[in-house]
Order: sequence, then C-alpha cells, then structure tokens
Amino acid sequence: MTILHERPAGAEPEFGPGRVEPLTEIIPGPRPHGWVRFITSTDHKQIGLNYMVTAFIGFLTAGLMAEGIRTQLAVPNNHFVTLDTFNQLFTMHGTIMLFVFLGPFAFGLANYIVPLQIGAPDMAFPRFNNLSYWLYLGGFLILLFSFMTNNGAADFGWFGYAPLTESIHSPGPGADMWIIGIALTGFSGIFTAVNTISTIFCLRAPGMVMFRMPIFCWNQMVTMFLVLLAFPVLTSAMAMLWLDRHLNTHFYDPNGGGQPILWQNLFWFFGHPEVYILALPYFGVVTEVIATMSKKPVFGYKGMVAATLSIGGLSMGVWAHHMYTTGAVLLPFFAGMSLLIAVPTGIKFFNWIGTMWRGTITLSTPMLFCIGFLMMFLLGGLTGVILAQPPLDFQLHNTYFVVAHFHYVMFGGSVFVVFASIYYWFPKYTGRMLDERLGKLSFVLLFVGFNLTFFPQHDLGLRGMSRRIATYPDNLGYNFLNLLSSIGAYITGIGVIPTLWNIFRSLRHGKIAGDNPWDGQTLEWATSSPPPEHNFEALPPIRSERPLWDANHPDMLTQAGH
Amino acid sequence: MSLLATQLLGATNFGSPSGVTKQAHEVIRLWRITYYFAIPIGLLVIGLIVWCVVRYRVRRGSTRQPAQFQYHIPIEAAYTLIPIVIVGIIFGFLYGAEDREDAVAKNPAVIVHVQAFQWGWRFIYPNGHSQVGDVAEEPNINDTSTLPILYLPENETVQLDLHSDDVVHSFYVPEFLFQRDIIPGIKNTVDFNITHTGSWIGECTNICGTYHAFMKFRVNVLSVADYNAWYAKQKPGSVTNSGRSVTSYSSDTGGNS
Repeated sequence: MTILHERPAGAEPEFGPGRVEPLTEIIPGPRPHGWVRFITSTDHKQIGLNYMVTAFIGFLTAGLMAEGIRTQLAVPNNHFVTLDTFNQLFTMHGTIMLFVFLGPFAFGLANYIVPLQIGAPDMAFPRFNNLSYWLYLGGFLILLFSFMTNNGAADFGWFGYAPLTESIHSPGPGADMWIIGIALTGFSGIFTAVNTISTIFCLRAPGMVMFRMPIFCWNQMVTMFLVLLAFPVLTSAMAMLWLDRHLNTHFYDPNGGGQPILWQNLFWFFGHPEVYILALPYFGVVTEVIATMSKKPVFGYKGMVAATLSIGGLSMGVWAHHMYTTGAVLLPFFAGMSLLIAVPTGIKFFNWIGTMWRGTITLSTPMLFCIGFLMMFLLGGLTGVILAQPPLDFQLHNTYFVVAHFHYVMFGGSVFVVFASIYYWFPKYTGRMLDERLGKLSFVLLFVGFNLTFFPQHDLGLRGMSRRIATYPDNLGYNFLNLLSSIGAYITGIGVIPTLWNIFRSLRHGKIAGDNPWDGQTLEWATSSPPPEHNFEALPPIRSERPLWDANHPDMLTQAGH
Repeated sequence: MSLLATQLLGATNFGSPSGVTKQAHEVIRLWRITYYFAIPIGLLVIGLIVWCVVRYRVRRGSTRQPAQFQYHIPIEAAYTLIPIVIVGIIFGFLYGAEDREDAVAKNPAVIVHVQAFQWGWRFIYPNGHSQVGDVAEEPNINDTSTLPILYLPENETVQLDLHSDDVVHSFYVPEFLFQRDIIPGIKNTVDFNITHTGSWIGECTNICGTYHAFMKFRVNVLSVADYNAWYAKQKPGSVTNSGRSVTSYSSDTGGNS
C-alpha cells in the first residue's frame, strides 16, 4: 500500500478491467494555499511543523518567564516582581514548558518523522490529527491569556497541590483557565497517541517488521502508550478539580471530607510517566543522530528496545517517589522501583557509547548537542539515584537540589535534543542546511549557560534553599550561587538567539541540502527534501533497521542480529 | 584516586549541613554509600564518552572505515547485570533506614503540637503555652526578629505533631536533614533526638500561597536544664506572638486563621 509500483507512462485505461478506482477522489480545482492550507492541512508533515513551531514559541515564552524568575532571585531581598507575579511566573513557566513545549514538540516529531521512517504515506487518521493540533493550540492560548485576567494566571505551582487550588484559596479565572488549558492539551495528547500507535501498527511498509523499525519509532510508540495511560488520569483529576471549584463537590477539599492527598496520587500517577513522555522520544532522536553521525548501526538494538519497554513499564509504578515526604506512601516499594529505572537507563548509555565505539564520528551541530545531552543527562540520572532514596529525599525534597536535578534531565536532557533534532532534520523539513558555525556558537553558549545556571543549584539545595520562594535573606549563604545561576540564565537565553537567527536566515539562504545530507540510514532520507505529499515515489528494499544505508553501502551491510 | 576524591567530598558534604540529630546519621551514611558508587560510575561513563569522541572522530584525510558490529552479548550482559547488583546493594543499605528515621517513640520527653497556617507557625506545648508568629504587614525577608521560636531540649526524644489549618505546608529544618509535609487530613508525627544545642532557621518548603517565602521559624535547642528553666517560666495557656508576650491572645484571632 505504500510502495508505489511503476506508474504506466501514458494515460491510464479509461474503462475496462485495467481501470482501478482510486480510493480517494481527487477534486479538481485550485489547492488551498497560504493560511487556508495551514489551517485545513491534514498532511502529517504540515501538522508536525505546526506542532514544532508552536511548541518552540511556547519554549521562548516560558523561557522569558524563567529569565524573570532568575532576575528576581539574582540578589537577596529583591523586588523586581511582586510576590504574586513571581508565583504566576514559575507556575506558568513549568506548565508551558511541560504541557506546551516539551511534550508537543515530541508529538510534532512523531507526526513528521514516524510516518517517514516506517515508509507510510501519512498518519493513520489525518483529520483527527488536524483536530488534535487545534485543541493543543487552543490549550496554549488559554494558558497564555490567563495572564490577562483580573487575578492573573494560576499561581500554585505546576503541580497545583490541593487544597491551595480550591476556589477559596485561589479565586479568579486564572486557575480555571489553567485547568481548561491543560485539559485541552491533554486531549490533544491522547488523540496524537491513538494516531501514532495506529500508524505504527497498521501503516508500516512491506518488510518493515517491528524489529526493523528505527529506535526513534520504538520510543515514540512506548511514549504514546504512556500517554494513553497517564493523560486520561490527569484530565479526570482536572475535571474533579473544576467540579470542586464550581459545583461545591469535595474531592480534594478537606473541609467537606475530601482528601488533598488524592490529588497528589492522581497528579503524580500522571506526572511520573509524563517525565518519560518528555524524555523517551528525545532518547530516540539521540539514538538516530549518534548512529548516523558515527556511520554505524545502533549497538545492542534489541537490548535498547527492551530497555525502552522496561522504562515504560517501571515508570508506571514510581509515582509516589514524588510523595516520600507526605508520610502516606509505602517507601521501600517505590524506592526499589525508582532505583531499578537506573538499570535500563544505564543500558541506553552503554548502547550509545557502543554505537560511537570504533565508528567515524562527525562532530556536526546535532552530534554536539547529543554529546552535551549525554553528559548532562548522566548527571541528572545520578542525582535521580540520590533522590530515589527516601532518607536523602527527606533532606532534599522541594529544595533547589530537586530543581537542579530535573532541569538536568529536562533541559540538559530533552531540550538539548530538541536543538539536535532541529539541526538534524531541518534539511528534511525545508531542503536547506542550517549554518554549522551559528549552530556551534549556539551549542557552546547553551552548554556553558545551562551548567552555570543549574550546577550551583545543587549546592543551593544542599544548603537548604527551598524552591518556589520569591526572595531569600542575605545571611544564609545563598547570594553568590544565586547570582551565578542568574548570570547563567542570561547566557542560556542569549544562546537561543543564534539558532533563531540561523533558522530565519537558512530558510532563504541555507545551502541546498539534497535528499540525504548526513548519509542517513533510515527511510526519511530516501525521499526528497522536503518530501512530497504522501512522501515516497519508491522505497529501497527493507531488510534491516537501516534500509537506506544498506542501499547506499552494499559493502557494509547491516549484519543479521543474534 | 577516586576513593580519595569521594572521601574528600564526603568530608565536606558539598555544602550540606552535617546534621544535628541522631536521625540524620542515617542520611549521612546513605550519602557516603551513594558517593562511592555514583562518582566512579559517573567518571567512567564520562570517560568513555570523551574517549569515543576524541578517538573516533573523523580526521581530515582519514580513510578509516567505521566498524559495523552491532551486538556483543558478554558486554551487554555485563552492563545489565552489574547495575542490577549495584542497585541491590544501595537498596540493601537504604532498606530500613527510612523506618529508623521515621520511627516514633511511645513515650517521648516532649510533645509539641505544630500548627502551620497561611503564613506562619504555632507551636503549642503540653501546658498550653504557644509560640506564634506570622507574616507582618510589610514583611522584610531579612528580619528574623519576629519569627516564631520552637524551643526544644537537647539529647531527648522530641515529638512533633504536625497539623495544617488550611493548605499543604512542609516542616523543614535544613540542619536536621529532614522535612515532612503537613497535609490536611493526614496525621504526621515525627521524632528528633537533637545532639547539639544551637539556633537554626526552619522553613516551609511547599508552595502555600503569596507569602510562602516568608513562612520561616527559628529552632532554639537548649540544654535540658536551660529548657526546663525556660519551660517553667511559661504560664499555662500563655501566648508569645512573634517574640512578644501577648496577654489576651484569645480575642486576637484575626490574621491567623
């Protein structure tokens, strides 16, 4: 269904047994273009780009909020913003980064790349796909415009612990818009998950058996199952919160017999798989980039698939490690499960190292971002092993150590890979290369700025600085480290600019990329850049997980597995 | 070399307080064990990454071909099984540690009733005396003179009974290396055996609204004799608000509830 047979040179027979009715009738007349095309397109590539551009705007928005947070905290007893504004800034920073940027950017990648990598003409449900993008955009706008309401945006932290979220403690529409906005992005995520899983299960090209899929597709598949398990719980929890606020139910309100701890359980039952929803797709990107840039097959491919599956499985059983200090969870079980996640994560690290081993590594910008990812994510993983131990978490919970830990995982980990993915696939999206020198400048600034921002925060947490405080006294030894952190935040902010300029400039003036600028291994490089509607004229034979490499390098075929 | 490094770093605790309670020993012990595994593993992995990048990067004019191997069962088995063993060892050390840290005595020497509210603390002693403090009209983060004070005796089992009037708060004293959430509807009791006298700042670590940053308190740990002398001076039912004695507190409930 996806490999097009050779087309007859002349016109098709008009009648008779040779005539095949087309499945979709092609309506004659002008095709929509410009804004109409943007709004109505059901092409997975257009929707994927919509997702990624919107998500990146979310990244810039929430990044500006982070600069506001760091400016307020640069010096002790500062009054750059009011206390309430500060609370709104960190709440919406977290909410937008997680629900609007990191997750949906990965959904954008799933939209654009997965059908190409498995040799499919489009997603399984193109119009459903279009709907999920518009739900997502609606959610983003509602979250953004909540700043314009009379009491401002939500101000209770991105995980909104009840009963602070009840109407008596957080009156005003800001909190309601937070609920609705997140619920909309939640629905969008669920729809995308259904779509991606169906695409992977039903639309793989002939020969593309599951164990020949690129690791990126495997990771997206596991991610989407996690979305299906986690997001409905979140959306239901949000619905109950809305009922509490408006119809006087008492799911979370202790004054009516409700249980605030219920919210924590529901939220983190979503929240911990969410962390892997934000990480696994990017692990997949790293795997693709490292394999391509090292000109090698993925080392331990099957082990890596098993590691991804077990991360997915374990991540459903560790939510309460966010709740060690509540005194209401069974500590040894959740500690053991959380520590176990280090094992498959370690496997992935050794797979990545094994993939580079004895390869020929091109240090292009996407590869640099991936190496940055390896270093940063390693540190985030090791501090994760620290925080997984309840006695250590009793000390570090809700301090800046936790802030440092998850920024090493989410920024040093996933965001660096977002940049890697932009530099790696931009030629496929547009047909033009991004400038390498600007890319490397961006990488150096981001790497230095990021570490300067977040490394000192480990120490701040050990010294006892609580997270989410709007200001701090000058005599507790926090001053210098906070100043360092704020300077780092500005350098990080500046580090984004070369990439933005690079994208803007390369769209017109970038070097022409051709179909396969990186000597890629997977099918997205087997079509033109950008790919035509329905993607492929013809596919190379698929006999391993890197069909294009086999076609281009018959002297270095992928060996059969063990 | 790495052992030396871990011991040096272990001695300095990376800037963390070293803990003033008996319970904190469990934390320090786990920190050490985690260092011994985490730092060498971290250095090993970073070393391997740097080695690959330096050794196998493409040099101009090189005709080296990339090796095309994909599987190596012994290595794959090793990097799967060894981490499982390490995780098992760490789990072995931590198993029970949190129970010892969370254990509560049947007959503690002192029971203090801790009430957290937006935004302040109320420490109620067995005779009904209470130490209260809340956010001033125009709070100044550098002003610690109006903080409520939690007086505790040294070298005795002290039990804190944690309650919240409104939203989720958290009781945290960095020097105790310990915090516990204060959640409406959850009964939380914690024990401390403090081994040093001193005065430290404690704080709420859970976002609880506008003045979260100002929700601090002071812990004064006195020797048993000093504590008894202080306690004997506190009249049953009396109230000290923000360091000042308040005689008719019962009519002054505004702002605290």
